[in-house]
Amino acid sequence: MAARTRLPLLFPKNLPPFRNQRLVHTDAAAKEPAYPPVVPSLTAKSKSALRRQVEEHVQKVCASPVEEKLALITRIQREKYVVYPQTFARNADRWYQHFTKTAYIPGLPEKFTLGQEHTGGEEGSPPAAAQTTVPGIENDAFADIRSLVSRVILQERWHLKKRRPFLYREQEHMVGPLLRNLVSGLTYSLAKYNPLLPLSSLDFNPQVNFYWRRGQRIIPKGHRRRHLEPTRFQIDDRPHSQIRITQQLPQFAPLEACYDAEVPEITLAPNVMPMFRKQYDNHIFTGAKLPDPARYGHTQFHLVPDRYHRDRMARKQQSDQVEVFLRANGLASLFAWTGAQAMYQGFWNHEDVTRPFVSQAVITDGQFFSFFCYQLNTVALSVETDANNPRKNLMWGTESLRLYESVQDGEVVGLNDGVVKLLVQFLMNQP
Amino acid sequence: MATPLFSPTVLLKDLGRMSTHGQARRHFAVSRSLPAKALPARRPRERVEIPGLEMVTYGDRMHYVPGLAKPVYPQWERDYKDPGHYKAPPAHHMLLYKGKPCYVYNQRTSALEGVPQALWLTKAKLISGLPPHLLSLAESPANQIPDQDERVQNAIKHARFWDTTEERPCKEKYSNTLLSNLLHLCATLQSRHTVIGRRILAEKYSLAATWKRGEDLFQVRGQNGLLYNCMDPLPEVSGKQEVGDTAHHVLETFYPVSPSIDLQKVHVYEEEVNCSGFREGYPYPHAHTLYFQEDGDVNCKLHPKQFRAKMVMFAFGNALARAHSLYGTQPQHVLDRPITVQAVGTNGRLFQFLVFQLNTTDLSGDDGIKNQVWLDEDVELYDFAKLRPLIKKKQVKVPAGLEGYKPETFRKFLSLYLHGAV
Repeated sequence: MAARTRLPLLFPKNLPPFRNQRLVHTDAAAKEPAYPPVVPSLTAKSKSALRRQVEEHVQKVCASPVEEKLALITRIQREKYVVYPQTFARNADRWYQHFTKTAYIPGLPEKFTLGQEHTGGEEGSPPAAAQTTVPGIENDAFADIRSLVSRVILQERWHLKKRRPFLYREQEHMVGPLLRNLVSGLTYSLAKYNPLLPLSSLDFNPQVNFYWRRGQRIIPKGHRRRHLEPTRFQIDDRPHSQIRITQQLPQFAPLEACYDAEVPEITLAPNVMPMFRKQYDNHIFTGAKLPDPARYGHTQFHLVPDRYHRDRMARKQQSDQVEVFLRANGLASLFAWTGAQAMYQGFWNHEDVTRPFVSQAVITDGQFFSFFCYQLNTVALSVETDANNPRKNLMWGTESLRLYESVQDGEVVGLNDGVVKLLVQFLMNQP
Repeated sequence: MATPLFSPTVLLKDLGRMSTHGQARRHFAVSRSLPAKALPARRPRERVEIPGLEMVTYGDRMHYVPGLAKPVYPQWERDYKDPGHYKAPPAHHMLLYKGKPCYVYNQRTSALEGVPQALWLTKAKLISGLPPHLLSLAESPANQIPDQDERVQNAIKHARFWDTTEERPCKEKYSNTLLSNLLHLCATLQSRHTVIGRRILAEKYSLAATWKRGEDLFQVRGQNGLLYNCMDPLPEVSGKQEVGDTAHHVLETFYPVSPSIDLQKVHVYEEEVNCSGFREGYPYPHAHTLYFQEDGDVNCKLHPKQFRAKMVMFAFGNALARAHSLYGTQPQHVLDRPITVQAVGTNGRLFQFLVFQLNTTDLSGDDGIKNQVWLDEDVELYDFAKLRPLIKKKQVKVPAGLEGYKPETFRKFLSLYLHGAV
């Protein structure tokens, strides 16, 4: 065929310009393709086929409603690392920060006035009646709340006749009812100042689960040797109580502010931590199933486990691990909760969140309280989506603050107003 | 099969005493191995003493010799105190032993006659149905929660369907969650009625109250359920006229069954023990409502009648402990201010509502002023809460989800909650 046609070697000079007027003035007309697009096969035993299968699966998940999305994401059971929020591992908070891509910022966001800085001064000075810096609450209401807190502490510590608790069940017997009454008392007292609270749902001993993938490893041995395998994680948490609300809390910091945050990088494999793998059902759960109207989280309350004793750690010269434990607990629990909330809204690995999800947590052992705030900016943590993802999650937290010194002769000695203020501010958080 | 004498006969003796009632047994022994199940105790061989005859034993030989008798050694007592190996002395050697028995009603008692037995023990008159002025408290819109029906239905669905990662939560869990959800809904009214802020919940408190009935001594003791305490006493439900009319009422007896049947008979007890569970100076001394759950105790399953009897007894116990602390332990013919205590019992779907008014602490005779009990039994909150529809002969009899919700039940619950606050 090439022999028959004679291509002109030179362009003819008398070619009229703009001969094809149609092509100049109209848009590139989308002509109906005559043939289907050329894509790699779906069932062949090739790398491009595998890539296409993955893409099809991703599109299928993106196109389905939320319930089916969750079912498709958690369908296949494989071995995964079980992340325990309350762990005895050393420096667990750095490990968990790496797994969840979270940056830790000491202190609380600006909206919570740092009452703990004034602890030294305020205890001695006359009751800070003139200095209640909690916006939206009058001094009388704050005084009522303060007396409620002291009565709750006295009921459990002094007035109620209790037997000695069974082995390793002191927290459940001694501090559990105290925290329960504290949470309910504060919630109902502040219900008239925070319109979210009357419509909220207060769960006791709920379950919070989250399942995600982050990082990959080369399988060292077996018939799948030298293949790349994503590292899967699962958190199964049981907070003491939590408040779930119908509207979302506002963000603490804009999305763009997290681009500069620093997340520690750990090159060791997770099982060095130590963390162990297990295979069982993958769950993503905020505390209630999808049809529940209260889908967003407000505050969680945690109790420390029975084997966590500050004085024992101080005797073993491990006082730094005291705060590390609390930070790791707050981080893992809040990441799981906010991640599950985001999943319930339809965001997942390949569809990243469009608005940050925010939650709060308080961890206590009855006397010491630590406060944490978490902002989830990204759920895209797996290898394929994390490569160009500049977003990081953020966590703010305090050191543990003492609520009261002791209980003597039916009186609470040394009740710390700053901690009560922080509790009130936490529960007053509203859009 | 003859067991060798030197091998673990000690084990068999211990195990025979440890009966587990179907619960998992905690193995704290590390020094010796224990078999997996509790073997039945074997009666030891009877030792025959013939006076004048000396038994030839193998004690001197220091090993078993067939044909010789087993030696009997004197009882060895440890000279130090070891709490791991403590044997309690028999009842008649205890300090608090009394010849006269005391009948104790505890949280696991299943009274044979049910509510009539409880009424006889507490010298009370039963009025079925709650008092109308109490029910009208929840009728007015000012005392209702906004979107009440929808929120209660959401609370039921949360307790029955949405609370777990599995398909459905178990009965104990859902009845617990339902009760806490309903209490949460009621307590959100605190923004309108600030008096609700003067109340607090207490769990795991131990009650003790004593009274004499005829010639017998009775006690109510135990940890029974969730107690709702208040700073102010509840107003009385019935006026002085009705209280006086109860004197004509005759208590129902159930001869030949004794009224103390199924109660725990103890000879070792402390007389005149009256304790509301809290120390003096407690800011919330008045018991407002008791919340019972049918499945609260794993070891004790009560029939509905016995469950109602338990509610009556513990409401009475709380009222009596308060009366004794206010007016002293001497029996009072008529209390100036009758003490009212309410109780709510549930199994997750059916509710029992109870109001107990203590008019008198003079309980020894069968005549005179009686106490009053208003009881509303087996009130359904909803008919069905099914995950899968019930289909018979290809027709849907009961659809999936919450079915047959009755709003009156929650209104009764709310009115009992608001009693004293409105």
